[in-house]
Amino acid sequence: MQERPTFSPFWHRVRAMKPRLRPHVDITRQHYRGRRWHVVHDPTSNQFYRLNPIAHDFVCSLDGSRTIEEAWNLALTKFGDAAPTQNEIIQLISQLYSANLLSVDASPETEQLLRRGRDRTRRKIASQAIGIMYFKIRLFNPDRLLAWCEPVLRPILNKWGFLLWLAFVVTTATQLFPHWQKLKDSFQDLTNPQNLLLVPVAYAVIKAIHEFGHGIICKRFGGQVPEFGVMLLVLLPSPYVDASATWAFPSRWKRMAVGAGGMIFELFTASCCGLAWLYGDLSPTWKQLAFNAMVTASVSTVLFNANPLMRFDGYYILSDLLEVPNLQQRSQKMLYHLAQRFIYRLKNLTPPSTQAGEQAILVTYGVLSGAYRIFLFITITLYVLGLFFALGLVLAVWTAAAWFIIPIGKFIHWNAASPQLSEHRGRAVLTSVAIVALLAVGFGAIPLPDRRRGVGVVESAARSGVFFDADGFVVAVHKRPGEEVRRGDPIVTLENEELVQQRRGIEAQRRAFGVQFRDGLEKQPALAEVAREKMAIADENLAEIDERLAALVVRAPHDGRVVSGDPEQRLGAYVRRGEQLCEVVDCTNLRVAAALDQRQSGWLFPPAADDQPEPPRKFSIAQVRPLSNLNHIFEATEVQPVEAGQRRLPSPAMGFAGGGTVETDSSDRSGVLSKRPMFTVRMELLPEADGQDLSAILTPGERVRVRFSLEPRPLLAQWIDRLRKEVQGRVKL
Amino acid sequence: MSQTVTRYHALFESIRSRRRRPPNHRGLDLAAAYVGMRLRHRRVSLSWLRDQAQRVDGLAKDLKTHSDAALNEVVRETREAFVRGRVDDEMVRRAFAAVREVGRRETGEEAYIVQIMGAMSLYHGRIVEMLTGEGKTLTGSLAAPILAWRNRYLHVFTVNDYLAQRDAESRRVIYKRCLCEVGAIVQAMDESERFGVYARSIVYGTPKQITADWLRDQLRLNASLGNGGQLNNAWTGRKLLARAGEAGSPLSAHAAQGPMIPGLRACLVDEADAVLIDEGVVPLIIARARREDEMGAIYKEASELARRLDAKADYTIDQLRRRSELTRRGRHRVEEMASHMQAPLWRATRRAHELVRQALVAQHCYTHGHQYQIVDGRVVIVDEYTGRFLPDRSWEHGLHQAVEAKEGLAVTADRETLARMSFQRFFRMYPVLCGMTGTAADAAVEMEKVYERPVTVIPTNRPLIREAWPARAFRTSDGRWNAVVESIQQVHAQRRPLLVGTRSIEASELLSARLTARGLPHRVLNANFDKDEAELIAMAGKHSTITVATNMAGRGTDIKLDREAKEAGGLHVVLTEMHSAKRIDRQFIGRAGRQGDPGSSQVFVSCEDELVKLHARRLIAAVRGQTPSTPAQDEIKGGSRRRALAVFRLAQRRAEARGRRSRAEVLKQDDWIEKNLPGW
Repeated sequence: MQERPTFSPFWHRVRAMKPRLRPHVDITRQHYRGRRWHVVHDPTSNQFYRLNPIAHDFVCSLDGSRTIEEAWNLALTKFGDAAPTQNEIIQLISQLYSANLLSVDASPETEQLLRRGRDRTRRKIASQAIGIMYFKIRLFNPDRLLAWCEPVLRPILNKWGFLLWLAFVVTTATQLFPHWQKLKDSFQDLTNPQNLLLVPVAYAVIKAIHEFGHGIICKRFGGQVPEFGVMLLVLLPSPYVDASATWAFPSRWKRMAVGAGGMIFELFTASCCGLAWLYGDLSPTWKQLAFNAMVTASVSTVLFNANPLMRFDGYYILSDLLEVPNLQQRSQKMLYHLAQRFIYRLKNLTPPSTQAGEQAILVTYGVLSGAYRIFLFITITLYVLGLFFALGLVLAVWTAAAWFIIPIGKFIHWNAASPQLSEHRGRAVLTSVAIVALLAVGFGAIPLPDRRRGVGVVESAARSGVFFDADGFVVAVHKRPGEEVRRGDPIVTLENEELVQQRRGIEAQRRAFGVQFRDGLEKQPALAEVAREKMAIADENLAEIDERLAALVVRAPHDGRVVSGDPEQRLGAYVRRGEQLCEVVDCTNLRVAAALDQRQSGWLFPPAADDQPEPPRKFSIAQVRPLSNLNHIFEATEVQPVEAGQRRLPSPAMGFAGGGTVETDSSDRSGVLSKRPMFTVRMELLPEADGQDLSAILTPGERVRVRFSLEPRPLLAQWIDRLRKEVQGRVKL
Repeated sequence: MSQTVTRYHALFESIRSRRRRPPNHRGLDLAAAYVGMRLRHRRVSLSWLRDQAQRVDGLAKDLKTHSDAALNEVVRETREAFVRGRVDDEMVRRAFAAVREVGRRETGEEAYIVQIMGAMSLYHGRIVEMLTGEGKTLTGSLAAPILAWRNRYLHVFTVNDYLAQRDAESRRVIYKRCLCEVGAIVQAMDESERFGVYARSIVYGTPKQITADWLRDQLRLNASLGNGGQLNNAWTGRKLLARAGEAGSPLSAHAAQGPMIPGLRACLVDEADAVLIDEGVVPLIIARARREDEMGAIYKEASELARRLDAKADYTIDQLRRRSELTRRGRHRVEEMASHMQAPLWRATRRAHELVRQALVAQHCYTHGHQYQIVDGRVVIVDEYTGRFLPDRSWEHGLHQAVEAKEGLAVTADRETLARMSFQRFFRMYPVLCGMTGTAADAAVEMEKVYERPVTVIPTNRPLIREAWPARAFRTSDGRWNAVVESIQQVHAQRRPLLVGTRSIEASELLSARLTARGLPHRVLNANFDKDEAELIAMAGKHSTITVATNMAGRGTDIKLDREAKEAGGLHVVLTEMHSAKRIDRQFIGRAGRQGDPGSSQVFVSCEDELVKLHARRLIAAVRGQTPSTPAQDEIKGGSRRRALAVFRLAQRRAEARGRRSRAEVLKQDDWIEKNLPGW
């Protein structure tokens, strides 16, 4: 229980004042988790203040003719122990006064007003500077525009309109779903250079519609929308409107509607664009534009706006849905509170919430958003670093300062100077030191498995193409891909009528020569000699044709398995000699080739000591998981780097073009040239422990995930190593 | 040359002063402000000061040959330059030379080089540390006229009314010849007299008097415009005065006269560390008794109730912060007992708890003879730092009443604060602030942070030959007193005068009883005998005199030794306990060895002292070990002694830090109120 002293030494400063709320201030009721609150709202300045019922009663009793002391005495008789203390009243009065919601009989001193204004500007600048990731530029006041549009849209801005919208969006989604492949293909085009100009256009339009959505729904429920501007979100300009008037809406459903308004309009637009893209008879540019708009709208809505862990629409909707105002701030406070209470064992703390349900929400949200924030920081920083290194670095340092260094500074300051700790500072400092030490040991000293990941393909020791050795029609297929073959097993059988006819002709000729020969022996020996020679030639021809006939049955060159290319597709087709039918690979002896980005694979080599280039490390352990069947994990040994600095990938399957994860050079048609130099590593696979056949699961040519296990190292060392590699690749030193 | 103060001028200046609210820097701002301050003051280094003072000395030699009329002409010219604000280093040196010469001719005292250095650093807005007995009065009177010329009004703050009057009188001749009028504000003056004095260019007074007058001015200004009224600008001020001047005006006559203090321009604070630091946060409060007050019975009931509670089971006491806390059982018991009470107030649980807690604090944290004394059936607060009575002060929010109820006295009416101001805030309103003290270096950081005034330590004129005898530590308080008496007897046998410092009135009386038992003749100086103060101090320097004194003797007392005493080895100061700040100890010890006199000092401490009990409880328990079986083993000796003294110093440092923090907290609070509440 927090002690609440009744008296304040500063009471004389407010005692005789006769303040009252400014005449144009509205008060609306709101309910949060079954509790009544009163929101004081000044529509001209958009200032808000939330009062609990007792404070509200007190504020209402200030009518300009009562002094604060009189009003306080009134509250004391009315509420007894629950009445606000002098300190609480001073707090209340000062906050209302600072928010310009209270008019005081004494005209405030100009100096004080000016200083307050200056302070406010300074705070604004400071918060802008800290939140450089959310830089705001104000453009114009959209209120009149919205006031003009709102009556037009009013008939559909209600429950029925919402249901209609829902039906429309769902229908469109079902319409689009069968064209998933087409969608995916078009998605590739999104990165085309000629599209680069269209994406921002679509983005700007969509986002403007989004903000319009917020504005119009806010307007619909009677709120003012005084500001429209552009916010630089991680250097990406995106429009915003100031719909803070919403906070005063009594119904949480209305507040949520405003929060969702942007997404509603955006998804509607996305659906329209989707339909236009699918069915519209449009020129390619328009079609592309429609597609861009659809993708931008739906993806950004789902990824950003609806995400409650960032402070966008989703957050406010969630906050209203859970009836927990100031979710973010209070969840942070809740975590601090728990730390203070259970780690630092401080007493007499006031928790930000006393309701168990709300506390649970706050803790959950606090943990999630904290983790997300770190994740976001890392990804955004790496992303921007990749785009513009210097800018990224500035941004990273700045954000780190705002998100991490300032809190750490505050933590130190809290330890050193907080009056809360005046009793147990020694103990608190020890606790902090212990925490830091624990973290330092945990991250800096305890070796943990260090694993690096890469992408690879399964290779076979013996792999050969099977080619047609004769022209002909495919008449029979004996083996399908994946089937085992033994050496000499037929794979397909061809038919070549011409060859058969030819053979018959030659046979006939030979018979004729045979007759000539026999005749010649009897009559003219010279002729017999000629006939014999011709017979020999015919024999030769026959043999050749026989060979070709035999080649009509395509046989496996060695034991193995049929891969790449389905012979059945050739059934009935005429093929020419020399065309490739398929490949046969030897599955008993599989190995994996992995490609690693050169700048990330410094760990392949032990740290270079004494300028002596050391031989690459050998890894005893690497693990391989086929993408087709992630449940299987194979051990690999004899990991050996084979090539360094090559841009040619072992298989096109690893590159972007082949659906892999290695960025490939888009100008190369074969899809095996990577954008950056790679390391190629080969490793042998061990047979699985349970004796299962490797070849039953792994198919040569298949993509696999490869995980290398290095010697265990502390996490910090691992991270620093990775970061260094990340940075090294980007800066040309 | 006299200054005329028009009502309008006074009003204008007063409003201008109250608008001056120096920001309370925090965090990086504080660091920046600190660096800025250091840069601004970097020129005034000790060597620079010495150089300047020597040049002043050279100039003064020329002036010695001037006729009186010529000197007056020089003074007039330099004053003119200062009034016009056309001042360079050359002019400053001339001014100091002239004032020094004036001082020499008028009083026969010629300032030493170090005194000129001190005066010059005062002029440059610094806090000057000069060891006790180095002639601070003369130093101040050297800087005062020049500061007054430059800033039109100068307030000189002294420790008490007596000193204010004495200094104003003794320096009048100098100031007069320097064309400055001087006056002193003392308690006994009525308002119309004060108007006259404040119009003079140099005003002596105690911080309490001048701050209270300033507060009253502000209250009147507010009142004359209605409730919490504001003066926005000089124009409304002009209208206000016009209105007040009309016949039948409802405004008070004083509003018509304008404020008493025509603005806060410059001040020179004597004993700057005491005023600015120790007493800096004790707020000066203007209060009036509440009209409707039937609380007397309730305080008595609360006191009775608190007595019935059991320690530990029902409540815990935090001696350090002077707070109490009820346990769950205690709360239930209070509620149960309160339900039998008549007064409706007891129905309000929170308020009832609060009253009982307050009664507990009054009973356990405030003791007769330490924090207060009963004089004529009234509770009178004893100042923690000076050991003097504060007859017109009372504790706030019912604490005073709780103490009265505890002592079974008539409960006075709770008083209602009308205005309050801490010295810290008041002195920050002066654009020009300088000060002198014997012990500033210990508080230098705080002076620099809060007042943005750097501290200069001026070297002594004559070398200090005071001896510090090794401190002695004892396990029990009793053992300490025995040893103190023993030591007093020994020193007394050498016919040296002795000054024995105690921390509380109670302790001074306890020691007195012991000395009487030993048959040692002595005098006691504490707040109970403050009438005899001047006489006792005058006697204290005589050979073989023993004076037992509380902190009253700690500041501003000049104990003059007679010939015999000097020959015997000078004054010996015994400190029977360490104070919560090193500065206060240094001040007290500084009574010995003044102006190159011989002297010595010794500190006695015991493990049962409040200082260590509050601030280093566990450490001192470890050092103390077992309670000794024989009195002879009571003294802590050898390695343990060193450790024990280290613990005492640590406790002192902790106490200082605690004081610093609480002062920073008050400043922060004041600042918050300034920023966030309308009005003044």
